[in-house]
Amino acid sequence: MMKVQGKSPLSARARYTAAAVSALALLGSVPAAHAADPLQPDPELEAVTLSAPKPSWVFVERGFVVPGNSIYDTETGKMLGMVEASTLSDLSIDPAGKAYYVSESIWTKGWRGTRQDMITVYDSATLKLKTEIAIPGRILIGGRKFNFVIADEGKTAYVYNLDPASSVNVVDLAKGKFVKKIELPGCASLMPVTGVGFSALCSDGSLATVKTAAAKPEITRSAPFFSATNDPIFDNFGYDGAKQTAVFLTYTGQVYTAKLGATPTISEPFSIQAAAGVSPADTKPLDVHWYPGARQGLAYHLGTGHAFVLMHTGEYWTHKESGTELWELDVAAKKVVKRIPLEDPASAVAVTQEPNAKLILSGESGTLHILDAKTFEEKFKLEKSAGGVLRTLEP
Amino acid sequence: MKTFNPDAMGEKLLRRFAGGTSRRGILARLGLALVAAPVFPVLPVSRASAAKPDRSPEAKTTFARNAQSKDDTKCDYWRYCAIDGSLCSCCGGGLNRCPPGAEHSPVSWVGTCINPDDGRAYLIAYRDCCGKAYCNKCDCDGTDRETQLYVPQLNNDVIWCFGTTSMEYHCSTAVLVGTA
Repeated sequence: MMKVQGKSPLSARARYTAAAVSALALLGSVPAAHAADPLQPDPELEAVTLSAPKPSWVFVERGFVVPGNSIYDTETGKMLGMVEASTLSDLSIDPAGKAYYVSESIWTKGWRGTRQDMITVYDSATLKLKTEIAIPGRILIGGRKFNFVIADEGKTAYVYNLDPASSVNVVDLAKGKFVKKIELPGCASLMPVTGVGFSALCSDGSLATVKTAAAKPEITRSAPFFSATNDPIFDNFGYDGAKQTAVFLTYTGQVYTAKLGATPTISEPFSIQAAAGVSPADTKPLDVHWYPGARQGLAYHLGTGHAFVLMHTGEYWTHKESGTELWELDVAAKKVVKRIPLEDPASAVAVTQEPNAKLILSGESGTLHILDAKTFEEKFKLEKSAGGVLRTLEP
Repeated sequence: MKTFNPDAMGEKLLRRFAGGTSRRGILARLGLALVAAPVFPVLPVSRASAAKPDRSPEAKTTFARNAQSKDDTKCDYWRYCAIDGSLCSCCGGGLNRCPPGAEHSPVSWVGTCINPDDGRAYLIAYRDCCGKAYCNKCDCDGTDRETQLYVPQLNNDVIWCFGTTSMEYHCSTAVLVGTA
């Protein structure tokens, strides 16, 4: 039998009214359901932890006034955390990846009271304080890569001190103890020398090498090879700990390479401007040239032996000016292979030591620029993230 | 055997000298020297004044060519050719005085700056004022003959608050020491 759908006994208006009431009831039931199932309070969570430092990370010293070292991953452009540090401190990274070391000075009453100099040790996973190693002094300057360096595969630290006599404090990181102070008159900017101690640049234009093991440290000096007052070498230079080489750049753009050791050898210099096919610079007033400059004007990629140098145009004695171009220099070939104009003039440059290296530039605008070091394509533009010295992980 | 005899040597020298000179001859030579004396300054010998540096515009740095001597709250004031930091002149102090409550560092880095009014070069001691927070006004960074850390007395990034109660950097002064 065929089922015949019968008409509803309700009128059309009544059906509409009933539908509207049902819909309202349904709507009313939504908040009612949520009220029965509120958001749960956040559980008490531990702070985020980090992996061991990666070659893609960059550590940005936040500048003269604002303390701390911000960590960014150049792969993602994200800030990962911050290594605590007081102003005018220096950061070094444990080559084993287990700790961050901060060479710093604090006082018992803020800036008053008793001065305390130390290497503060932070766990690399939690970024929490592990321990402090007291030292008898250190320079207050910041903004330099070579005032606090780690040697002997992480066992030794050298801390430069100026009070205002010049010396180096040797610290045994494995035992967590200050070992000795070595007077180093007229020299600064420390380069660890494997099996020897360290080398440093000197005011007489020489490279001093200090054998640290003996009870009375032995200091020898190379023949003077540069003018410390007329054409100084920038003290943020390139250093390759594995190959034991350094790349030095002077205010006029002369490039020296040094083979470090008990008796270091230093190459004849060449002009970075000549390597780019432009006129070499000099020290004469009114001569306008391309000059190297900025606060941290040279980044050295160890794998390729290429240096990235911040350059600007102007006269001599403009060595702190930010770079308006970045020059890629093949140091061994003595050839500038690329010149990249910078829209945001940069005061510091660093490069990650990866095969797919990234360049990090601190812009005058306060923006941190992260570029692919092969294509120079800008991957990330991080506002309010630039600052002082940039550090990357070096093998 | 022949031995060393200083008396005999002295006598020999004096007798040789006496034999080759006369009192009249000595007087003649002294007279010649007196007559020739006014000519000495024009002879081509090395004199201190010969080392007078070139102060022409062509020999001056960009800073020195554009420096002024009227307003010590501006970065182009001539004494600031190698200063770095906040000018104490803008922070309640002066060109060579600390702001209230700040302490003058007894040591400093130095610069050699040219006064545009007299064209002379002067040694300037950049003495930090210490013991207060960074003033952060009128920040200047003169870089004439400014070098790196291995010549610290010519480096303007170092905190020079040595010998003061506090090493906190507040601002920098430019104290004239004398002609360079």
